[in-house]
This record gives sequence, C-alpha cells and structure tokens, in this order.
Amino acid sequence: MSIRAPRKGENYELSVDLNSEYREKRKDAIKRVIASMTVGKDVSGLFPDVLKNMQTDDLEQKKLVYLYLMNYAKTQPELVILAVNTFVKDSDDPNPLVRALAIRTMGVLRAEKIIDYLCDPLQKCLRDENPYVRKTAALCVAKLYDLKPELVIDNGFLEQLHEMIADSNPMVVANTVAALTDIHTAATSQSSLSPDDPALFPISASILTKLLIALNECSEWGRVAILNALARYVAKDDKESEHICERVVPQFQHVNGSVVLAAVKVIMIHMRGVRRDDLIKQLVRKMAPPLVTLLSSPPEVQWVALRNINLLLQKRPDILSNEMRVFFCKYNDPLYVKVEKLDIMVRLAGENNVDALLSELKEYASEVDVDFVRKSIKAIGQTAIKIDAAAERCVHVLLELIDTRVSYVVQEAVVVMKDIFRKYPSTYEGIIPTLCANLDELDEPEAKASLIWIIGEYANKIDNADELLGIFVDTFVEESYPVQLQTLTAVVKLFLKKPDSSQGIVQRILNTATKDCDSPDVRDRAYIYWRLLSTDPGAAKAVVLAQRPPISIPRTTVPPALLEELLGEVSSLASVYHKPEETFVGRGRVGADSVVQRKTDADGPSDDRFSAQKALQTVAAGQQAENLLDFDDTPAVEGRPSGLAATEVLSHTPAAANLLAGTSSNPLDDLVSIFGAPAAAPATPATPAGPSAGGGGGPHDVFGGLGGMGMGMGSLGSLGSLGSPAVPGALSSPSPSVVVPPSQQNQQPQDDLLGLF
Amino acid sequence: MGLDGIIILDNNGRPIIQSGFRSSTTVYPLLHIDAVNNALEKAERPADVDPVLYIPNTTDVSSACCHVQAGDLRFLCPVSGDVDPLLAFAFLQTFIDILREYLGTVSAATLRDNFDIVYQLFEETLDVGGHPLTTYPNALRDIVIPPSLMNKLLSVTGTNFNSTINSGFGAGAAAGPFSSPIPWRKTGVRYNNNEIYFDIVEHLKAIVNKNGVTLSSNVHGKIEANAKLSGTPDCSLSFTNPQVLYDCALHPCIRLLRWNRDKVLSFVPPDGRFTLMDYTYSSQSPNSPLPTSPNVALPFVIKPNIELEDSGGSFDVTLTSRYSTHALENVVAELHLGQGAGGIRCSVSRGSGGGGFINAAESRNSGSSGGSNRASWSFDAQRMILRWEIQIVPPSSSWSLHGSFVTANRAPRPSHAIRVCFDISSHTYSALKVGQLKVTNAKENYKPYKGVRGRSSGEVEWRW
Repeated sequence: MSIRAPRKGENYELSVDLNSEYREKRKDAIKRVIASMTVGKDVSGLFPDVLKNMQTDDLEQKKLVYLYLMNYAKTQPELVILAVNTFVKDSDDPNPLVRALAIRTMGVLRAEKIIDYLCDPLQKCLRDENPYVRKTAALCVAKLYDLKPELVIDNGFLEQLHEMIADSNPMVVANTVAALTDIHTAATSQSSLSPDDPALFPISASILTKLLIALNECSEWGRVAILNALARYVAKDDKESEHICERVVPQFQHVNGSVVLAAVKVIMIHMRGVRRDDLIKQLVRKMAPPLVTLLSSPPEVQWVALRNINLLLQKRPDILSNEMRVFFCKYNDPLYVKVEKLDIMVRLAGENNVDALLSELKEYASEVDVDFVRKSIKAIGQTAIKIDAAAERCVHVLLELIDTRVSYVVQEAVVVMKDIFRKYPSTYEGIIPTLCANLDELDEPEAKASLIWIIGEYANKIDNADELLGIFVDTFVEESYPVQLQTLTAVVKLFLKKPDSSQGIVQRILNTATKDCDSPDVRDRAYIYWRLLSTDPGAAKAVVLAQRPPISIPRTTVPPALLEELLGEVSSLASVYHKPEETFVGRGRVGADSVVQRKTDADGPSDDRFSAQKALQTVAAGQQAENLLDFDDTPAVEGRPSGLAATEVLSHTPAAANLLAGTSSNPLDDLVSIFGAPAAAPATPATPAGPSAGGGGGPHDVFGGLGGMGMGMGSLGSLGSLGSPAVPGALSSPSPSVVVPPSQQNQQPQDDLLGLF
Repeated sequence: MGLDGIIILDNNGRPIIQSGFRSSTTVYPLLHIDAVNNALEKAERPADVDPVLYIPNTTDVSSACCHVQAGDLRFLCPVSGDVDPLLAFAFLQTFIDILREYLGTVSAATLRDNFDIVYQLFEETLDVGGHPLTTYPNALRDIVIPPSLMNKLLSVTGTNFNSTINSGFGAGAAAGPFSSPIPWRKTGVRYNNNEIYFDIVEHLKAIVNKNGVTLSSNVHGKIEANAKLSGTPDCSLSFTNPQVLYDCALHPCIRLLRWNRDKVLSFVPPDGRFTLMDYTYSSQSPNSPLPTSPNVALPFVIKPNIELEDSGGSFDVTLTSRYSTHALENVVAELHLGQGAGGIRCSVSRGSGGGGFINAAESRNSGSSGGSNRASWSFDAQRMILRWEIQIVPPSSSWSLHGSFVTANRAPRPSHAIRVCFDISSHTYSALKVGQLKVTNAKENYKPYKGVRGRSSGEVEWRW
C-alpha cells in the first residue's frame, strides 16, 4: 500500500468515512467515491479502503465496490488480486444476483491473474439453477475466449454452450447464441483457421429448430441475436427456405424496429431459396408496411429505415409503388431525412403520380435550405429523364423556377436543363433564350459550364452565340478548369457550325488555352482540337459533333452484384452506407484496416482523383483521335511525347488499358468531364494506393464482381449516385506517372503546331 | 463488436457519465465525443447532423457513432462491427425510457444526483460484449432498486434495510429474480384494488397544400396500458371494429396466433405501465395489400393570408375549428419567418362561432409577445419562429392572428408552411371501440376495475 492519501483534503475525508464503524456512512462514502470517479477525480488511492467494504450483505454496496474495482483494474492489477477470494466466494452465494454479479465482474476485469480463478466458478454457474446466472455465465465464456481461447476449449465450455442452446429458458438460449456468435466472429477474424475449429458456430438443422422455437419467446434483443444467427443458416432446399420465412414473418409485428429490420434481413436472404411465386409475393407485400410504419418514429430511426427502404426498392421497385405520399417532406424534417425521402420519391415516380411529385418538388424548391433546394431541382431533372411523358412538364417547372431569379435556384436549374437537353436533343430549343438571359447571374463553375455546353451544342440556332461565348473567352484564364474545358469545346463546336463568322474567336481561344493556361488537361485538349482542325476539319466534325449516347437515370445506385450482397445485410451499417462491410469496418472479412473511406470524408482527397480521372479521359479521348488522324505521320511529335503520344505508353499497363477501354467508346465526350467534376464528389472508392484510381471513368474489370459502375458513372455522377465501391487490395491502380505529361514537354511541339495552323 | 457502450453528454457537449468501455481503449469514447461535438459545431442546425457518424481510427478498429438528443442531453452509442444502427437507436430509446422511469425527469442534474443508479443500469442493460441485456422494467426493478423505492424503504425499515435487500426486493422477488416463468412479468404481485386501464392514443400527421387540399395524412395509434392486477391474470381484449387496425406491432406478451386468427388481444400483462400495441389507422378492408391513407377530416381549417414585400411582410391567419363536438386543446401554430426577421407586431383575436365569451383583441406595439389569456403569441428570435398559442379552441370557433414583420436589409424568406400541433381529449380518429375485456385468473377470483379512454394529438403542415 505505497499509495496513501495525504492526511487532509477530500480523499482523506473519504478514506475516513470508508473506514467508519457505521455502515450507512461507509455506503455513502462509496457513493461519493463513485461520483468523484465519474467527474474525473483520481480516487485510485482509496483502493484498499474501498476494498474493505467488498464483503457485505448489502447488494447495492457490493455492486458499487465492484464498479470501482472494474474501473481501476486496468491501472492497479496487483491490487485486484486481493479481491479474488471474495469473488470466488460470491460465486457460491445463495443469492443468484450475487452469483451472477461475481461471474460477470470477473469476466470483465480482464486481469490475467483473475482469469485463472474464473474457470471453476464459471463451470458451476453455467449449470446454475437460476436462468439469470446461466445467461450471465454464457456471455462470460465469450469474454474468456477473447482473453484466453485455450482456456475455453480446454475446459469444455464450448460443448457446454452448445448444450445450452436447448435450455428451457429462451433468455438463456438467446444469450448463448450471442456468446457463440461472438466466439465465431472472433475465431473467423483470425488468419489461421481450420474449417473444423471448435470455436466455429455453424448453424445446423437441429440448432435451427431450437432457434425457431426460442425466437417467439425471448426478449427483443434476444430475437435480434437469434435472427442474425438464422441469417447465416444455409437452407437445404426450397421447402426449408419456405419454412424459415414463414416462421420469421410474424416478427414483422414486433414493436421494436431493430427486430423488424433483422427479420427483413432473414427474409431477404432466405427468399432467394423460395420457389413459390405466391409466397414470394406475399412476403414482399408483408415487408412494406412495417418499414413504412418506421417513418412515424424519431428522425434517426426514419433515416435508417429510409436507407434500407431505398435499398429494398432497388431490388423490388414494386413494394411501395402506391405509397409515394408517405415520403413527402415536411419543412422541419432534418436535412438527412429530406434528402433520403427525395431520392425515394424519384425512385417511385411513374406516369400516374408524376404530377403530385412535381408539385411537391416545386414546393421544396421554394424552401430556405439551399442544399435541399438544389437537391429538389436535381430531382426534377431526374424525373424528366426518367419519365419521357413528363419531360415537358418538368421543363415547365424549371422555367418557373428560373423566373424566381434566386441565384442558386437559377444556377441549379441551368445545370439540370443541360441534362434534359442531353436526353431530349433538339426538343426544347425554344427555351434557350430564357437560359441565355440569365448568363450574368451564373457564378458557379458547374452552372457556367452547363450553359456553355448548351450554347456550343446549339450554336447554329443561337444568333449571337459568338458574342455569348466571347464573354467567356475574354475571362478564360480566370475561369475554373471545367469552365475552361467547356468554353474550349463550345467554341470549337461554334467554329465547326459557323466557320465563317467565328474564325477569330477560335484562334483566340486556342492561343490562350495553349499558352496561358496552367492546366495540362485544358492545354492538351486545345492541342488536340488545334491539330484536328488544322489537318482535317471533316474528322474534327465527326469527332466533336458526334452523336452522343443517350443518358438515362440509373435504376440502381449500387451495382447489381453489390446490391445482392447488401440486401443480405439489410439492418446493418453496410445497408445504411450502401457499401460492403469491409470498406468501412476494419475488422471483419478482409481485415483491411487501412481502407477507411466514407462519403463525407471524400471531399478533400477526391480532388486529386478527379483531376487524375479527367486527365485520363482527355488522354483516352486523344487515343480515339489518333485512329482518325494517323498521328504518327505528322512531324510535330518527333520523339517528344505530347499528351497524345503518352497514350501509347499508357496502353501497355493493363489497368490503364482498362480505363481506356472504359472511356473510349465515348470519344471526346466533354460531358463526361463536366459530370465527373464536383457533382460526383460523394463517390468514394477506397484507394489504398493513393489518388490515382479513377472513380468516375470506372475500370470495369478491376472492380471485379462488385464493380460495374463503369462507364455510366461519369455521366450519372451529377444525378446523385452514391458512390462506387472498391475492393481494397484487389485494385491495381494505374500509376500516377501516366496521368499528367510534364509541362515542359509541351513547349517544343507547341511551336510546331502553331506553324501547322 | 456490437454496442460498445453509452455516453451521455450535457448541452455543452461535455460527458456527464459513460459506461465502462472495458473492452476498448481509453481514447475510444473520447474519439466519439469529439466526433459528435465537431459535427454539431459544423452543422447549421444541430438537428441536421447525420445520426450515424463514421469514426475513422488509424490505430484501432474503425467504428460508427449513433447519437440522439433527449431534452438537454445527447446520448451516444458507439458501435463497431457491422451492427444495425437501428439496434443502437432502439436501445438508446429503451435506455432513455428506463432512466425516465427511474429518475422521473432525465436531466444533467438528476443524472449527477444518481450516478450510482445510472451505473447499475448501464451494467444491467448492456453487456460489455455489446449485447443489450435486461430491459423489461419489471425484471429490472428486481435487480436495480429505483431511488424513490429505496428512500421509502430507508425511511420505513431503517437499518433493517440491508436484510430486506438480501432477500430480494418487493413482493415479487421472494422466489429470486428471473425465476418468473413469464419474462416480462414478476411473480407474486399483489394489489388491494385490482385495476387495469387502457389509453387509446392516436397521432395524426398531415400535409395540406396551398389550396387547402390534404396531400397526405396518416394516423398512428397505440394502446397504452396500466395494469395493477394481482397474481397471474390472463386478459383478453376484443374490439368492435378491429378492421381499422392496420400493420399492428404487438407487445411480446400478446399471443400472436390468437390475434392473427380472431383479432383478439390475449395476454398476460406486465405489471405497471406498458405499450400494448402500435398500429396504423386504415379505413380499408384488411384484405387489401396496402392502406391508402384514410381520409381523416382535419379538425380545423386555416386561411393563411400572407403578403410579402421588399423588406418585410404582413399576415392575417385565421384558424377555424371544424369539429362540432370536441374542443382542440393546446393549439400551437408556428411560422418560420426566415433569417433577419424582426420587428414583429401582432394581435390575436377570437372570431365568431362557438360558444363561450369572446376575448377582447389585444395588441402590443413593443415587446416580443402578447395576447390574451386564452390565446397568445410570441417570437423566438433564435429560431426565427413566430408562435401562436391557443389554449382551447371550442367547437366551431374561429381565431385569428394578424400582424406584420420586417426583415433587416434583405428580402423576407419565410418558410411557406405553418406547422400546427394540437391535442384533443376523449377522441380518436379511428373511432376504435373496445368490445369486451375479460380478465380471468385461475387462482384468485377478483373483479378488476377496467377503464378505457381515447386521446388524440396531431401535427399538420399547412402550406401557403
């Protein structure tokens, strides 16, 4: 007892009271010690005094002393040994609460020396007559396994747990299942694991029967544990799958939402094995109402429910087809709930309810919250693209919104209009003047780039297109890169459509872009255009004015293979993040702690990624141009790799080749690079190798079964897709060196090219 | 793996008390506290912070933090591994309910006064391995004594207290805790007056568009029970119109088979208060797959007349009760006026219709609130919300709020919706009627007093 409190002060007074001859005084002192401990005062010096009060008839006092012990066991393990005798004695106490308390505390102390004394009492308590003691002991085994697995195996505790699955008390069954599952998880996370390791907890047919019986009897938390175990069971045949589904369905009627969600998960998994169509229909029908009911809960619960509903809808769009009104937003809903509701509303949109949807979206667009307003306007665009018959009504609503002249509303509406122009070319040319009238109000890059794209696309229909584009050419150097790229492309389009009147402007922009611009992407694109125009305007036309593939709204925001996996994880973090578990929890199947990414974290590092991606796209576009131009013959390159020549190097690395294959079907598609820009920011592939892996342009093969976001991602990025997942480690990313050609290399060819023009 | 613990923060984001976190490092809870506080700081409105925060951790396992606000406090539940966040939220809610039952009000002060109780509850409700344990109030009361009961015991039995404890608490624990064959009910309960009460509580949520058309409305209800019955009573409750009940979620005590077959609630109740069932009101036949929202007639009409000018606006809002028999109580209408609003001038008045006397209109030129004793208005300058409160709106009566506001150096941007909350006593939207309640008891023969009441509330968003 080297540490003694000084002979004055609070701790000294406590120490005196702890040794008082009156029990009430002692008990009160213990409470004060606990309170001091809670507010962060150091009361470790009182250890011996507190310990003296451990042997007592007063259960509450005992609990408090135990609490103190648990708190200081880490820092003063040698003192805890003094308590061992009392623990062992208590585990034999006539009062079951005391027995359970002793076992529980010993399991929690995590002190090596205590563990050695734990096994005998644990052995007894596992067979205790009182279910409370038995279930406490069952959980204690899992804790012991965590510390010293060999003790659990040597003492035969595992066999005992397996026997306890057949316990008469459902609470004991549920806790035993939880303990066995914990041990199973701990064992599987170890690297060297033989398939017949005793710690594994495979669910056999006989265990299944016992679990199904206990399911209806035990507490809500026990049900969740049992349902999670049922989700792991592999059914023998369709009869068994049906049986499980039928037995689990009544859990939908439980008050506790987590039981409902765990039941949904089991059904989603075992429904795969069900062959009877009528049963599948019935199951799907029963699944919807409890999920909708969760929407009357507090916002946090609503959010989890909405995320899961969103996932289920991607697999079974029919389950809530008549229920869009349930998802209407209220103005005082938290933003995260509104955003999720919006997404689901668009998912549920059809010709029969589109009018109701549009009037809602218009309402939301007049709200105060800027983020939400923007998302609502985006949703209008998505609706237009999703439902052909409603496109005109959507455009109408957008025009009304532009009329409000609220800056961010106008800007977002312009961005959305671009998507609509893309989907329905040459249908709404009449509104171009209205859009152009708002040119001065635009100050966000995405909005500017979108309007410039529209002007370039319809240059021949806009009388003063050269004037309008001239404004952007004048300020070219100050603009952001996406705007620069768009201006460049739009001016070239203008030139190709009206060669006579726009020779000057095209020369000006190519000059500025190649000389004064510090972005290699912009420069390289300018070079490509310049060369195209100078060698073969016909080819330039074929490339720049090529027919663009139509866009569509994705039915799913996650790839089908991933969707299937996530549906198996309904009611888990994975289903909330819409990403496979291993990308966000370090522990688990792959154990890749390093791969830690999340949608909100993506803002920072993603910039590099996107510029890398853009560069790759530009390069890919260049490769396409190469075929058209037989580039090698031109003297300009003379062994100095410019942006174009670099592609040859690129195509030797397999990953890069994939990237090229992924993008080249879409030659010089400037849209891809606009879309790929900030709008796609939520995309978060986990990239252990640094910033080089493309998120948008998407390497199909590299993502393996989980991938498949592929090409579409680039153009759909702005349509609010959530993100492309990546399998850590499996991703052999293209090395950063291939992406950006060093700038000085451009000096020499530049002169040659200028001469050519 | 699982729910790693509970942390309770005060309204400044400082931890008041937290569970042991014995299987994790000491920094683990701190990381979560910091993450939540950072997120709250960054958010414009605290309510907009994502309820599940991802906590990256470079040295240890990454985890997520589920958090909810309850009164002045914020409850955090760190989770690791692939856990259902709903499990965390459900558990937090359960825990908050338990605290409320033990401490009366849950606040920083009551927590600080009862550290010992809260710690005991942590230990009993959540396993160190992350599994929720005992949360049935009946069972919990056997192992953690509520402070009030303890005080009572202290005053009555004095020093004999300890022997009482050792033999278990209350009448029920005589045979030892958890010996009851029914997990939600303790054995040996005894009352002199046997009573059982049911409250049918329904809540309406609706959105009305600017033309006064109801866009969506739904009614969720629950049956709250308070059972004070001796022995092991077996109740069976039937309704005359069970078809209005849709998507029912039942307390585990209810025999599911019987309900699904006969629509009769047959159960052995827990002792004390509990929620017997939750349901959605549907006017459709039970065979149709999904309920379309039943057309619940809203209890009132609002005529909002709000004019916006360059730097302010005026409003003239009339609320008229549509009910001819029931009065609306505690009516609160809120209008968010947008950033920079101020200079509110208001008057509230009672229009024609309905019985009772008419309050004189009252207006104030200065100050931020005013009104008569039955209707009043106030302005929350922090949240920019104009509140209009009417204690009682008698049947068919009509009330109005008239006034103006100005905005400092910008165009007014009020929210285009008025949110109205209200209560109605002795009324249910679904008109759910209890047909019969039978209480049978094998051992003892008593005739309990039985009572059923209805109560409703609502929240309507009325757009303009």
